[in-house]
Order: sequence, then C-alpha cells, then structure tokens
Amino acid sequence: MQAIKVNVNGDVRDAMVEPDESLLQFVRERLQLTGTKEGCSTGYCGACTVLVDGEPVNACLFFAVDADRRHVTTVEGLSGSDGTLATLQRCFIEAAALQCGFCTPGMLLAAAALLERTPSPSEHEVRAALSGNICRCTGYQPIIKAVQSAAQALRREGASAPPRTPQRVQARA
Amino acid sequence: MDTVIGTSRVRPDAAAKVRGETVYVADLPVHDALTAVLVRSPHRFARIRRLDTRRAAQLPGVVAIAHRDTVPDTPLDFGIKDQHLFPREYVRYAGEPVVAIAAETLEQARAAAAAVEIDYEPLPCVDNVEQALAPDAPLVHPDWETYEHGASRVLRGNICGQNRISRGDVDAALARAHVTVTSNFRFSAGIPGYIEPRAALARKEADGGLTVFCGSQSPYGNRDDLAAFFGLAPERVRFINQFVGGAFGGKILMAAEWYAAALALQCDRPVRLVFSRHEDGLNVFPRHGGIATFTSGAAADGTLLAMRASFVFDTGAYIGYGAGTGLIATMLASAPYRIANVDLQATLVYTNKQVAGPVRAPGGPQATWAKELHIDEIARRLDMDPLEMRLKNAWEDGDVSATGQTLRSVSVKEALRRAADAIGWQKTRAPGHGRGIACSWWFSSCSRSEARVEIRSDGSVHLHSGNPEVGTGSAAAALPIVVADRLGIDPSAVTLTLADTATKTYDSGVGGSGSTFSAGLAALQAAEAVRARLIERAEDLLEARREDIDLHRGKASVRGAPDHALSFAEIAAGSGGSISGSGTAPEIGDPEFDAESVESHDFASWLAPSFVASAAAVRVDAQTGRVEVQRIVTAQDVGHAVNPTGIIGQIEGGAVQGLGFGLTEELRFGEQGIENPGFQDYLMPTALDAPAIESIIIERPSGEGPLGMKGVGEPPVTTPAAAIGNAIRDAIGTVPYTTPMTPERVWRAACDASAQGPSEYSSRST
Ligand code: FES
Ligand code: FES
Repeated sequence: MQAIKVNVNGDVRDAMVEPDESLLQFVRERLQLTGTKEGCSTGYCGACTVLVDGEPVNACLFFAVDADRRHVTTVEGLSGSDGTLATLQRCFIEAAALQCGFCTPGMLLAAAALLERTPSPSEHEVRAALSGNICRCTGYQPIIKAVQSAAQALRREGASAPPRTPQRVQARA
Repeated sequence: MDTVIGTSRVRPDAAAKVRGETVYVADLPVHDALTAVLVRSPHRFARIRRLDTRRAAQLPGVVAIAHRDTVPDTPLDFGIKDQHLFPREYVRYAGEPVVAIAAETLEQARAAAAAVEIDYEPLPCVDNVEQALAPDAPLVHPDWETYEHGASRVLRGNICGQNRISRGDVDAALARAHVTVTSNFRFSAGIPGYIEPRAALARKEADGGLTVFCGSQSPYGNRDDLAAFFGLAPERVRFINQFVGGAFGGKILMAAEWYAAALALQCDRPVRLVFSRHEDGLNVFPRHGGIATFTSGAAADGTLLAMRASFVFDTGAYIGYGAGTGLIATMLASAPYRIANVDLQATLVYTNKQVAGPVRAPGGPQATWAKELHIDEIARRLDMDPLEMRLKNAWEDGDVSATGQTLRSVSVKEALRRAADAIGWQKTRAPGHGRGIACSWWFSSCSRSEARVEIRSDGSVHLHSGNPEVGTGSAAAALPIVVADRLGIDPSAVTLTLADTATKTYDSGVGGSGSTFSAGLAALQAAEAVRARLIERAEDLLEARREDIDLHRGKASVRGAPDHALSFAEIAAGSGGSISGSGTAPEIGDPEFDAESVESHDFASWLAPSFVASAAAVRVDAQTGRVEVQRIVTAQDVGHAVNPTGIIGQIEGGAVQGLGFGLTEELRFGEQGIENPGFQDYLMPTALDAPAIESIIIERPSGEGPLGMKGVGEPPVTTPAAAIGNAIRDAIGTVPYTTPMTPERVWRAACDASAQGPSEYSSRST
C-alpha cells in the first residue's frame, strides 16, 4: 500500500492505495464516487474519463498513485458546491444529449476539457475531442450540439471554462 | 386541457444522469456482498469427462460453488429445450460458463476458479452455416432427437428453425420476366454494444425467497423464468430493476442474474457478479450472422414479378431467444413491395458459437440490407432510377402482404419521397460521391403490461409501471407524458417508480418496439381511471356538474369560474387520503392473414405496422476503399408521436448503429472462439464516424389501439446500412455483398468490378 494525497473535486483526500490500483477503482470503490463509469477497463470506451490537472484521462488505465498531489475532477465535481448545474450539464439536458446516461459522465469531462482549451471549437474539433468516448444510444449528434451550445453560452457568460481551473495540490511537508 | 402528448420535453431522469447520481447495478452499495466469478469453457466443443471442485472449495474465502450438480437438471425452455443452466455433458462454445464461484474477495474467487479441475475431450466443431448444413457435419447437439420442442418449431440435426412464406408460381413468373437477377449475401454477427456490462446482485431472504437487483429489459419475465427453474413461487422472488446503461436486445435474457442467484441460494450473504467487458463479450447474445440468396424477376417497366429468397442464420450453440429472427426475415424479404409470386424461406442452424439473440430489430438490418441491395441491382439491370423502381412497386393502402394481410395506413411512398427529397436525390453527384435509398416495414407489439397511478394526500402523482427504463426513455420519459396529459399536469410532476416486481404491475419488457405501445396504453388507462375518480370527487366537493370540471395545472376547476377550484391534495384528502387507478394494455389480436401462405410461421401478420425509409450520401475513395458517410436521412412513420424527442433519439441512434452494422462491426470467430470480445478490435462508430443525421417523423395513425401509435425503437436501425450500401454502388459502380462493407472489401469489389460483377446475372429480353 502506498499513501497518496489527491484533491478530488476540491476536497483533499488522503488515502492508502495498492500500487496497481487504478484511479477508476480509487474513485468508485474507495471514495464511493460512482458517477464515473466502467465500460471496458481497457481504454476504449471513455466511460471512465476524469480530469487530472484539467487533462482528460481514462481512469481505468491511470494508476491511483500517479494522481498523488494532483487535482482530479469527476462528474460529481462539475456542478457548483450549491448543486447548480454547470452550463455544460444544462446544455446536455436541453439538447437531449443522453439516453441511457452511461457514457454521459465521461462525455461531460472530455467536453469540459475541450472547452477549457478551445472555447470556440468547430464541429470537427468537438467530434475529434469526443472520439475516445463511445455512445451507443444517441448517434452523437445531440452531444455535439450540446457541446457547441455550451461553448456559445460560456462565451456569452464570459466565463473561461466550466470546471474549476485546476491548481496543483500544495504539498504539505 | 393543455396537450402534453407530442410536445418536446426534457427527460425527467436527465438531471440525475448529468450529475452522475443515477444508480446502475454496479453502483449499488455492497457492504457484505461476496464477489462471484465464472469458470468458462476454453473449448468450442468438448465433452466434459470430469468436473471436480473439491480443491477449489477448500481455498480461503470461498463460500459457494455452483455447477451442473448443484442446480436442478431441468432444461431451459426457449421453444426448444436444448440448454441447461450449466452444461452437463458437453460444452458447446468457447466462453460457456461451467462453474460459478462466490468468495470474500475477487482475488480469492479467481484463485478458486483456477483450482477447479475439468477434463475436456475436445470434439470436431461446426464453424459456420455452410458447415452446419453439410451432410457429414458434426452435430452440435448429438442427442437433438430427445429434445422437447414447441409444435411450430422445426428441429432436425443442426437445423433448429425453419419457416416459409409462399404465394403464386415463382418459376413461371421468373420465366416470363424481362430480367432476372440472383444476388448472394453474407452478413456478420455483431454485438448489441451497450456500454454498461451486465451485472447482478442477488440475496437470499430470511423466508427462503430471493431478491435480485438487475438491469434487465424484462424483469418480470426473468423473475418468472428464474423462479420456475429454482422451484420457487414467483411472489417469493423479487426483481428490482435499476437504471440500465443501454440494452438493445442484449439484456432480455438473463446472464449474470442466473449465476448470482444460483450462488446466493447457497449462502446467507448477497452475491455480486459484475461482468468485465471481456466477460460480457464472451457471454454476449450477438446479432445473427448468416447468408442470404435472392433471385427475382422484373418486367421491362420495372414491375417486380417474382422473388425467391432464402436465409440461413447462425444461431450459435443454443436456440436461446433467437427464433424470431428467421420469422422476421421472411416477413421482410419481399416487403414493402407488391410481388404476386414469392417463395421466402429462413433456416436457423446450430454452430459452436455464442448464442445469438434478439439484438435491436432481430434480422432487420441483415434482411433489409440484402433485400434492398438486391432491389437496386435489379433497378440497375433495367437502367431504372432506384427510387422510381421502389415507388412503382411499393405498397399502398389496401394492398396485401406476402402472407395475405391487408395493409392499412401505409406510408412507405411518403417515407421514400421525403427521405429522397431531403438527401437531394435529383442533384448531380460529384465523382466518388453517391446516394442510396432503402425502405422497409416493421411491427408494433402490444403485449401484457400493467400500470397504477396514485395521487397521494400531498397531491403528488406516482406512476408504477413494470416497464423497465433501459435508456430509450420509453418508461422514464414517455409514460409520464401520457399520464400528465390525462391529468392536466406537467410530466415533471409525475414520479415514476422503476420496474420492481414487488409492485405487481406486470410488464412483458422492452422488446419488439412495443414499450410505449403496451406500457403507454396501460398508463393511459390508469390515468383515465384516476381522472374519472378525481372528477367524480370534485363534482361533490365543488358542487358542479362533471362536464363543467377541468383538470388543469394540478387542480380541478369549474369551467368559467377558475377560482372555484380544488388542488389534487385537497381532493385526495377528501377521499380518504389517496386516489388511485390501474390500467392494463388491451389485448389487440393480430391482423388476419392467409394461413395457406405459411409453413411453421407464427408471426405471419403484423400489428400496427410502421414504415421507414433511409437515404444516405457517401464519398468513396476507390483507391483505399474508405467510405465516408456524410449524411443519413431517415423518414419514419410512428403513427402518433407521443414523445418526439425520444423518437428523434431512436432515429439518430439507430442511424449510427445501422452504420456500424454496415461498415465496421464484425464479431470474428477463430480456433479459440470469439477473437474480439472487447471494444479494442470490435469497432463501434465514434463521433468521427457518425454522419449528420436528419429525422423526418411521419404520423399516419394506425387505427389499431387508442392513440394510433406505431412501434418506434427498431425500424430506424434496419434501413441505414442498406442505404449506405446502395450509395457506395452509386458512387463507384459496385458494392461488396458482405457486411461489414470494410475498406478492404470495398476496395476488392472495386478491383473486381471491371472483371466481373458482385453476383451472378442472368437476363432475357422479351
Ligand atoms: S472503462 Fe476506461 S475506457 Fe472504458
Ligand atoms: S447515452 Fe447511452 S451510451 Fe451514450
């Protein structure tokens, strides 16, 4: 077991983890944050996508120990602390960008990362950014629309990005 | 009353889904649950010489072991009693579960699995449909003659299903034809592709009963099957359905539920079995692969005179839930066209592969792709526009189907025209670009479904339906709309309880494009009953005549005196605290047909048939064979659009699944069984592969059932691959007659095209 300190959705969590424990197991089993989904465990469906220091990663392929002293954002961290939905989440609802909802958490985080670096993405850029996330239900079209309307709304709001800008966890000696 | 039906709405379950709060089976808190693993056959076909679990049972942490000797030896009954829960004498596919183990931890369960001793004697296998039918083929079921089966089922060696539709004199009509065309097709098996692997959590109750937490398309049917198998009274077994991460026909039959239950019955702890993607792939119920041959004759003016079609479907090791595929295929083969002389046959054969199942529109994409490519080939032979060819032969109101069903509310020509217009059919194509079109028909199902609506003392409205929410919104989105419409409230004010057999609102499950149809009618009736009771009570309380009372925004008010009103809570309070009503989907008999036209066919007429057409625009690179699908338009007749947002979702999702079937998805089988059980080399379309999709909703009410609805979920997956195939041929003059139409196959077809066409032609001038 190895000690790690991870900022998950704004809370600093200290934990002991197995050296081969995935970040997916860590958030789902140790932290009981079950919003992050497991679809394949091999890096091919994107259902487990979370952000590590703002970058989308497949949590099933990412070791929990490698998240030590970093910021992790899961779907539970997208909405405000008072529960208000993020613009991106609202746009997903309004565009009917989900059916079964199993791909949704991963899609949201992949899209959030895109909007963080590319505030006005073209349709192709949206499709490319989401191409590691499989959705079997929607045919993708409403998801693309949701991301584009979120981009527009965020530009209007003047906000730079939906998720909190990640900052490295300050290591306490 | 404001109408709610037919308006676009936000799904009531959407907010929880974007917050990550929705609970699927694997998300249930587990506390003291044991972890289960399965020991699977490494052989495609083998005799089990010895099975010994004693050493495994001694290992630390092992609590329960289930296999052929711990469960009843009753065969499962899917029309043919050809399967046991755990294989007894033979394993018949690689990946078949032989032993289930529950232990304290996953590591301990895996260690025990490795310690199970099984001696196998490998046997010669049946790899494909041609081999299954060969005269000297090994028998997948050496003792098939001892199996019981339903009267309409054909069982003969490796043949486990056969049906036929015939009418007129095909040979005579072919002899008269100006042109006859024969086309041979091959289609691959594919997976349903839900992203949530199957999972179950089972717990024995103190009274000896059993509770199963599941993510099923058919919790009541599963409950009945499981209770019957283990000899428990159905009411002692409770299935509680959770939200489901996609199903597409792949979650109708139980998988994880069986093994978790078999283990849980042996111990006093809950047993949790969550498949990895790899295991889900080994336990998959795939779409049927197989072959088809069509021979048709047409007059010089394009009139279709005769068609002979035969399908052979690969059903895998057991019949499972796959028999319908053959019945549907013959119903699709010559439709939706007026053809006086037809001979349409389908055969199902056993092979040593996973058990094929009823994947979304069973037989639909396969049969439609083959038939519609064949129709285009005829049109090309006649030098006729493929759209014109279809419009010339397509059904109209009053036409009869191949089985003699008189067709009403037929909209196929409208669907064709509107899809063609939207794709720009008449516009000239740039080199390498092509457009294609395809059409078909489908059925609606009205099967047993019950619902209960309750208004509680606080005025809240609750809906209990047995219809599971599997992602489509058929339960979570459509049913509240129906109830809200009758009660004059907003759909978001209706609280739906997910399917739970303890609520005793039976439902036959999601399948056959029947959810909104059956469960919707049950919910409608329940809401009507509550509405009548509300108005009856309001009559007394408001001292008004019932015809003057309106239900509006959660109140009963007197027309013309809006202040003279009572809230639902006040009415409920005045009625002993709550008001409730129940509904049951009405029995709607199947339409009449000509029994003389069919053999071994018990699905020969279709209730409230729907019609669908897709058009596709593609760009093909003949050098590489790469096909880029630029647009798909699907025009679909839904009868009456109860939940338009949900319908568009079905059309768009169907278009991309259809594209996957047509271009990329292929379950490959080799010496060790399935070669691509995971997502890494089974290619489902991504956002980059998916085209722009346009949905056109046509509403031609069916006349069968009170709302005029037609089934929605399956038709839109049947036509896209056919439209894409025809568009490929339009672009480069040829198309592979094998799915998926991969770049390599397209490239080869392009290379062969100059030498020889993709199929055998014969034509004769009159
Ligand atoms: S579960 Fe991680 S990519 Fe599929
Ligand atoms: S909504 Fe079901 S997989 Fe995307």
